[in-house]
Amino acid sequence: MRLVEAALAAPGNDAQKALPHPIETRSHPDTVCVAGPPNAGKTALMNALTGGSFHTANYAGVTVTLSRGKSKAEFGPQVLLVDLPGVHSTAAVSPEEELSCSVIEGRHHSVNPAALIVAVDATQLERHLRFASFVARQRKPMVIALTMMDLLPRTQQSVNVRKLEAALGVPVVPVDGRTGWGAAELMVALQKEMVNPTTQSALVNVPEEPVSAYRVIRELLTNNEALKNKNPLVLTQDSFTARIDSVVLHRLLGFPIFFVVLVGLFSSIFWAARPFMDLIDWLFKQTGHWLLAILPDVALSRFLAEGVVGGVGAVAIFFPQIVILFFLMTLLEDSGYLARGAALVDRPLSYLGLHGRSFVPMLSGFACAIPAILAARTIPSRRERLLTIWILPLMSCSARLPVYALLLSALLPGAAWKAGLALGVIYLSSLLAGALVAGLISRFILRKRSASILAMEMPVYRKPLLKPTMRMTWSRASAYLRRAGTPIVVISSCLWLLSNFGLGRHQPASPDGARSPLIAASDLDHSFAAEVGKTLEPAIHPMGVDWRVGVGLISAFAAREVFVSTMAIVFHVAENEDGQQNGLLENMRTATFSGTSNPIFTTSTIVGLIVFFFFSLQCLSTVSVVRSETGSWRMAGLQLLFYTGIGYLMASALVVGLRLLGVD
Amino acid sequence: MSLLDALHNQRYRVEVVEGPDSERRRLLDLGITPGEELAVVQSVPLGDPLVVMIRGMRLALRRREAAWIRVQ
Repeated sequence: MRLVEAALAAPGNDAQKALPHPIETRSHPDTVCVAGPPNAGKTALMNALTGGSFHTANYAGVTVTLSRGKSKAEFGPQVLLVDLPGVHSTAAVSPEEELSCSVIEGRHHSVNPAALIVAVDATQLERHLRFASFVARQRKPMVIALTMMDLLPRTQQSVNVRKLEAALGVPVVPVDGRTGWGAAELMVALQKEMVNPTTQSALVNVPEEPVSAYRVIRELLTNNEALKNKNPLVLTQDSFTARIDSVVLHRLLGFPIFFVVLVGLFSSIFWAARPFMDLIDWLFKQTGHWLLAILPDVALSRFLAEGVVGGVGAVAIFFPQIVILFFLMTLLEDSGYLARGAALVDRPLSYLGLHGRSFVPMLSGFACAIPAILAARTIPSRRERLLTIWILPLMSCSARLPVYALLLSALLPGAAWKAGLALGVIYLSSLLAGALVAGLISRFILRKRSASILAMEMPVYRKPLLKPTMRMTWSRASAYLRRAGTPIVVISSCLWLLSNFGLGRHQPASPDGARSPLIAASDLDHSFAAEVGKTLEPAIHPMGVDWRVGVGLISAFAAREVFVSTMAIVFHVAENEDGQQNGLLENMRTATFSGTSNPIFTTSTIVGLIVFFFFSLQCLSTVSVVRSETGSWRMAGLQLLFYTGIGYLMASALVVGLRLLGVD
Repeated sequence: MSLLDALHNQRYRVEVVEGPDSERRRLLDLGITPGEELAVVQSVPLGDPLVVMIRGMRLALRRREAAWIRVQ
């Protein structure tokens, strides 16, 4: 996620704001990169140094793209800090690792750091110093930020910072990014190092090859008494973490606890977000009415009030859900549970060709596919990442919810529990369909098994702190708004134009003889959208519906829930505050194919529509995000054709089949 | 013997790490190097992955990965 803007939003940063989007800092004299292995506390450190909002998470591999920010003025001369994705192995596996390595080795096209801050977890000295030696070999000024000092007593270790510094020959500054402790000292050490770099660093002499590298580092640490390890191996396990793990990974309790956590997460997404969503819906409706009332009655005013405000509203309505989702996910990440969840489901998911880490994107997919696709970046192998992205559009996202709500109440009038049950079945089926598609693709299409490895670090449990969690939630949610918001607003504005302008052939000429291309709101029948819908009518005929539903289906490509409001327009529902859905249901029930008395919405056609929405990739924002995440249109286009095609075929087959069986 | 046959919460010493090059390198990079002590500390409900403690770190390893680690 591009989390940089938030940090740059502070006043007085105009020069930074002017930077173009691909980070161009090669010519910037004072670029400092913050590097480190996953979970070393880099991002928390970034937060402390910049005072900005950056991603901090206790889940290996969360910093997935370069985020940057200026160091706080109180720390002396300002530098531009760039947060690099965590690196497990310098034999880079994932694209994020490759990105970090290329920056550190000076191979990156636009980021060329003048100095580096290496975050080193004090409880993981050997492994993290090995990474530091990789950085040291590039012979750039560097400072080690020693993090997680507070956890040392829990692992029965003690680190002598002074001796460590002497042993390594590199400045070492203990910090706690979460509270900001040590940040000022770190920046002082950094400035000193940049002016007058240390020339004799023992780290430079650590060999590249892992086995001897680890031997040399251990010798460095023990010969200089920098690290005291009371219980070198098994007993260094932090018993607090061991105790929690023995419960949450328990043979019998593990999965029930996992499901309780998931159900809790889901129910909060839906129930806690409800009042906020209603409020936002009401606000946007009121704004629309108010704009119409105060603006002159011209096409532009209607475009603003209905097209633009409506489009922004379509994005904003999901914002509460997204915020709650991100907040809870961040809490789970920071506590350390998310890595356990990934370990729990790795076995079943790897059977389907996915990865334990696929579960986080799949979970997010039930709120919205867009943050889910972004979350797939943490999956190390390309094959598993692409496969995860491939099935994400099947996860029943919340934009489908209003559509299902409308169709289910048309299908099962009266009994709310039946509709609720059916909705549950739909949600579960979407997960199963995703599993099926992933399984089939990995068995028959993407058969070549590229290197797939779990080897996932399970961080120690820590109590998440409220402030960093809130900051993180905000920066993720605002990244969602930028990524998803723009396409939805643009597309829905275009669709508004299409459904409100027509050739004007059917318009009575206005008194001055001119024909306005703008058609009346009630006259959708003669709009461009209707022309398209009528042209496409033969194509949607197998689904048993007419062109009006076709217009709804097309408009749903802006965002699925737009289907509901389009249906309200095409079936001429007068806007009367709260009765809209009932009015729409009534009109749908009585709607017939024009010129006949055959009803459009029968059991078979409604089931067909539900199936269509179940499969179809009716979300152009998803397509655009898949394109940018995979780097080509190929997968995005294939996905669009595949799912929309399946949706169409399944819906048509079902309608025809049901009718053959005598279900109308 | 393979790490798969290791008893839980018992110390073992890594003898050799096998497996395809890139996976082997990854395991070595994580600090699973010959001569290092490790222990299986936890298994997960489906028996896969295993949670291994090495160099003060808890690491979830798939059975496939654990099979490449020879210990004594």
